[in-house]
Amino acid sequence: MNLCKGAVVLKEKSVLVIGGGVSGIQASLDLANRGLRVYLVDKTPSIGGKMAQLDKTFPTMDCSICILAPKMIECLRHPNITLLTYSVVEDIRGSAGNFEVVIRRLARCVDEKCTGCGICAEICPVRVSNEFDCRLGARSAIYVPYPQAVPLIYTVDKEHCIRCGLCEMSCDPDAIDLDMLDRKMRINVGSIIASTGYDIFDPSSLKEYGFGLYPNVITSLQFERLANASGPTVGKIIRPSDGKPAKRIAFIQCVGSRSQKTGYDYCSSACCMYATKEAILIKEHEPESEVYIFYVDLKVFGKGFQEFVNRAKENWGVRYISRRPGEIEEDPRTGDLILRYEDPTNMTVEEMVADLVVLCPAFVSKPSNKKIAGILEVETDEYGFFKTRDPPYASVDTNVLGVFVCGCCQGPKDIPESVAQASGAAERAAEVIALTAAKGGHKRNGRVQ
Amino acid sequence: MCAYFAFNYSRDVEEALSLGIETIQISKKLLKATPDAEKVKYCYECSACTASCPVAWMFPKHYNPKILLQKVFLDSREVLNEAGLWMCARCYRCYRRCPQGINLPEIFSATRDLAVELGYTSQAKNKLWEALKLIKEETPLAAVNTWLCLRPPEEGFKHSEVEKLVTKVLKNFVDDYKKEKILPTPKTRKEKIAVVGSGPAGLTVAYSLVKMGYPVTIFESLPETGGMIRVGIPEFRLPRNVLDVEVHRLNKLGVEIKTGITVGEDLTIDDLFRNGYDATFIAIGAHKSRELRIEGEEPETITNAVDLLRAINTGKSVKLGEKVAVIGGGNVAVDVARTALRQGTKDVNILYRRSREEMPANPLEIKEAEKEGVKIHFLLAPKRISGRDGHAVVLEFARMKLGELDDSGRRRPIPVVGSEFIMQFDAVIPAIGELPDVSFLPDEIKVARGNIVKVNPLTLETTMPGVFAGGDAVSGPATVIEAIAAGKRAASSIHRYLGGKDSS
Repeated sequence: MNLCKGAVVLKEKSVLVIGGGVSGIQASLDLANRGLRVYLVDKTPSIGGKMAQLDKTFPTMDCSICILAPKMIECLRHPNITLLTYSVVEDIRGSAGNFEVVIRRLARCVDEKCTGCGICAEICPVRVSNEFDCRLGARSAIYVPYPQAVPLIYTVDKEHCIRCGLCEMSCDPDAIDLDMLDRKMRINVGSIIASTGYDIFDPSSLKEYGFGLYPNVITSLQFERLANASGPTVGKIIRPSDGKPAKRIAFIQCVGSRSQKTGYDYCSSACCMYATKEAILIKEHEPESEVYIFYVDLKVFGKGFQEFVNRAKENWGVRYISRRPGEIEEDPRTGDLILRYEDPTNMTVEEMVADLVVLCPAFVSKPSNKKIAGILEVETDEYGFFKTRDPPYASVDTNVLGVFVCGCCQGPKDIPESVAQASGAAERAAEVIALTAAKGGHKRNGRVQ
Repeated sequence: MCAYFAFNYSRDVEEALSLGIETIQISKKLLKATPDAEKVKYCYECSACTASCPVAWMFPKHYNPKILLQKVFLDSREVLNEAGLWMCARCYRCYRRCPQGINLPEIFSATRDLAVELGYTSQAKNKLWEALKLIKEETPLAAVNTWLCLRPPEEGFKHSEVEKLVTKVLKNFVDDYKKEKILPTPKTRKEKIAVVGSGPAGLTVAYSLVKMGYPVTIFESLPETGGMIRVGIPEFRLPRNVLDVEVHRLNKLGVEIKTGITVGEDLTIDDLFRNGYDATFIAIGAHKSRELRIEGEEPETITNAVDLLRAINTGKSVKLGEKVAVIGGGNVAVDVARTALRQGTKDVNILYRRSREEMPANPLEIKEAEKEGVKIHFLLAPKRISGRDGHAVVLEFARMKLGELDDSGRRRPIPVVGSEFIMQFDAVIPAIGELPDVSFLPDEIKVARGNIVKVNPLTLETTMPGVFAGGDAVSGPATVIEAIAAGKRAASSIHRYLGGKDSS
């Protein structure tokens, strides 16, 4: 493949990675380990992405953050990686081999002197709901998203800060400066990897499930935080409405996905598996609890996945019901939820009382993808995911030379797939640098034949 | 021998082929007649339609929308002889729940048309009769409900073949009531039950409980029974004799109906318990018009939609003027508009703030209203009523555009800046929704946002023991069949509450 046709001569052997989720981290480490300079940009105060929010990973039931945290730390310590957290890409010019990137470093109001002691957060009088815990928990206006955050530097949430100055006064190393302003920085990179990730569909628009109306109807990501030992309930699976332990839990698959009505008519590909994982998690916590998974089609296609589901059925007694509940109603006195569904064996409409209902929403593209796509001049598909040039043969290449994509910003996928794609994207990004360097030497602004 | 085999073989094949061809032709015709037929291929049989269907809940053995839909496309000849085909009550719950947005009621309606068109007339007649018998067994309002759902147009209007058939069968069915000898059911139980409101939910509860042997009394504040069916649904959609016949049957079965008694004014819920009633069912419906909440909304400038319908339906004639604006996109708005036409208004306008797709009214009725000459304007919202200019009401509008999806799953209308304009009408009738009037309820009964009574969804018991509620008072404005289903549910739950054997 004529990779470097039209490519500019390499200026610096460096790569920009946009998005510090698991795929961004993997791509950065792969590139850095082969001696290239990596700028890892993330919009949030910490790298880690969605995987850091998860409790366990399937099908091995490993602790999610225990796998991810060492990689995050490695990113921080790696001499070839520059972490640019709480930063956004503003503008990109140039072409493969020499991209000029403008990055806005948002004012964190805390500098590198921060030791992460947390006194400022304790003293802060503001309490707002925590995005990392999917609004189940609370945090102060000066915060780290979670204890394992990398870098462990506190961030001031300017939207909610009341500028009382208590944190400034309490900070021993004098790291806090509430008047800090955004900074712009310019870098030159040879190639770019976009790994901006995904969002989950907001189920409140599906009125029949009452998400947002009934406190005990939650999303799967909220459930991950409930089950997590560092989450808002310290790992106890309790109901948000009254704090009672949830004994009967129902999962509903394909909420928003595979639907012509919502417009997300694709399969989110990970939900069947993570619902199974979460069901086993519940059973591990409380073996007496009853877990029901309402699914439409069970799509478990990866290595060891079917065995995982079989284990859930046979060893753990998770009940799979191949029907979609028509509606959920709440008992106003107890907060219990009543699901109405057709019983698949005798075709009658049944009603089930559940303590907690977990919706497994569609993976959707981030609204910010549009902006990034505009900056990168990369095409997106009808759902807002980045388009690859040739899905079977060039699964990480975009229509722009030197710009690659990996992870869920390209389409819904699970963690192993994201990691594999990240390594692929890293390889391609490195190839651009190797070839531009070989062809053009160190001439500046010359064009390669 | 050989020739014989050859002859027989070819005959069988021919027969099989001709049958096959007929099935294929029916399927093709169905596909043509079906709206959004291409969506059907996305159905993945999740059964959300069945799970949300009130008819399937009441008649699990006879009606299952998912299976009926499958039959429509897999066994198209057979489905034309199905009783279930005539049981869909067009509440559109399945359509709203379907992840693929398959319009089941419209598909069934098209299939019914086709059944008659293809000459399955006698089967259709029998099956409709069968469906009516089934519904009559379970509910007191078989004819009312079927009349409302299958919608034969009023006399004097052009009827299609299927409408002619439906009208004929329904008329026969109603006549049958008169011939029927109905004896009061023996009162085998001591516990007395009070029902507040005589709408579809109240009548159904009374019917089911009377059949179980309970003495039931219905309290109705209006002079006549029927609730919204009588005062809310215009006569052109439901002839009053149909309702009268069914109420009469209920009377004969031994239900005591006390009209002209308003619970809340004449006596309270506590009084009912003191007077020896052991359980109370609240089916007060939703009779209060929602306010527009705009500047200048005063009794002099606007006409109340529910009051207007009530006045006309109880025989009063109302002068609306030459040019009328109905604000809203629901069934009540369409009913008001069509009623206004029949009151002699020439220029009737429906103004709706979203587009046709989002309009909550029954699509069939929208079509009929437009056929009759009602003008529907989309993406218009009233901003201000600048008062009366002599005779006319001056109304300021803003044009709307549709934005992102809101909580109701519909696209939110956003005013277009600088698009305001002024129109004058003789009458402005806001019909943007109805609320239950719950002011008389004791504090023990909790009420949620939108004035709806909070109940346990399984038993329909309110937060006050022994008091049950159902119908529009619980769900907000909905269809007759949903109220009937709530009535059935409440009846079995009251039966359980009173210590009878578990019926389900």
